[in-house]
Amino acid sequence: MKRLLSALACLALLAGAAAAQSQLQAPKSVTANTELTVSTSGSGDATLYLVGPASFSKRSVKLGEPIRIAPEELHAAGAWLMVVKSGSGTESASFEVLPAEPGKLSFVVRPSRLPVAVHSGISGVAYLLDNYNNLVTAPQDVAFRLSVEDGPTAQQNVKSKDGIAWTQLDSGSKAGAAHLVANVGDISAERVVQQVASAACNLHIAAKPGDAGKILVATDPVRDCTGNAVPDGTVVTFTSTANGAVTTVDAPIKKGVAQAELPARPGAVISAASGVIMGNELRWGAR
Amino acid sequence: MRVRALLTAFLLVASAIAADVPKKAAASQAPATNIQLDLNADSVGPHQMEELTRLAITRDYAEAWDALAQALEQNDTALLNRDFIGFARDNFAARIAEQQKAGVRTKTIDHGHKATAVFYSPDGAGIELRDEAQLEIQILDGDTLVSSTKVTRHYVVLLTPTEVRWKVRILQTVAE
Repeated sequence: MKRLLSALACLALLAGAAAAQSQLQAPKSVTANTELTVSTSGSGDATLYLVGPASFSKRSVKLGEPIRIAPEELHAAGAWLMVVKSGSGTESASFEVLPAEPGKLSFVVRPSRLPVAVHSGISGVAYLLDNYNNLVTAPQDVAFRLSVEDGPTAQQNVKSKDGIAWTQLDSGSKAGAAHLVANVGDISAERVVQQVASAACNLHIAAKPGDAGKILVATDPVRDCTGNAVPDGTVVTFTSTANGAVTTVDAPIKKGVAQAELPARPGAVISAASGVIMGNELRWGAR
Repeated sequence: MRVRALLTAFLLVASAIAADVPKKAAASQAPATNIQLDLNADSVGPHQMEELTRLAITRDYAEAWDALAQALEQNDTALLNRDFIGFARDNFAARIAEQQKAGVRTKTIDHGHKATAVFYSPDGAGIELRDEAQLEIQILDGDTLVSSTKVTRHYVVLLTPTEVRWKVRILQTVAE
């Protein structure tokens, strides 16, 4: 009997404690920028301490009346703690402010300039934020689209995870400004990547007599493997070898072609190279 | 004879210095804080994380928590500058300003973190962690303890590299 009584007393204590804890009743979660109402019990004056990730407020409240927290106070997503201190004691409750719908994208694209036809050469990372700068951690559908004027468009659809969506795309085959756009619903962000011609491809040279004792060697218009003009300033190295004597001239491409004057030695073997690409070989004055 | 003695002394000094270099390198990666932080980077992607990067992030993130606790307790926004940037810095600075206005401080007693690196951007310019933190949050009105609450919180953390260290750009709790 004594045991039963003490067990009942324990249960009563636990129930009392539970009742005391539940005197401050806040919802478990609320979306950012939404009003929150917390019910209180008891009577008299008390002080409310409201601790948020980006704010702190202390104010007087009346016990027994609901505590209203205005939407503009609840912008920062995360765990919030509220403590009500009165003459009779202290009560606390916690709740979560959830991020609102995506309102903006922080979009990082690298690099800003790269050659055409580079496998997975362009990376884009989109950080999804709501209008209150909270990371939107709920999964969202994000579309990445890479396009060049008069060229094909590449698209990837990705589901964001923990507020981040990312992609890696091949650079296109056409030189020019490529536009990489990230979309979430109506929100989009665009970045421009400059695609430039890749290394020279199929370098072809021809030679003709120049001034006295010289020959003029010139390339055809220098293009990369997808037909883009290699930019002016790219160096082409011309080499002439005759009877063990080697002459080398580095010439930058100007208006699409590179040219150089070399000594006119009978039987000279003339070649050209740009980067790792070798052009055709010529034999000057060979019989 | 004298030359041999000098050479021996030189070799001894050189080997002592050489032995000390890795110790110093390892020591520079150790956090200057007592916060217990375990960072797992086994399944991070798409960029692989080097061990030195993992150690640097462990150090910088632990020190960021230490700095945050001090800043919130002392109501001093300047303490945030070394470790926080962007929205994270702005948010905590706003909270400190309001605490200061109310004459209140918050003390965070840190009981440890279990963090996992979940994303390392392809260009290496951003790292995201998920962190489970055991904290005790005390509210002090003047010098009076108003409340003390023990909590387990789950955070998403975004870190970005700066000139000399990784800084926290976003530190946001998430519901589990």
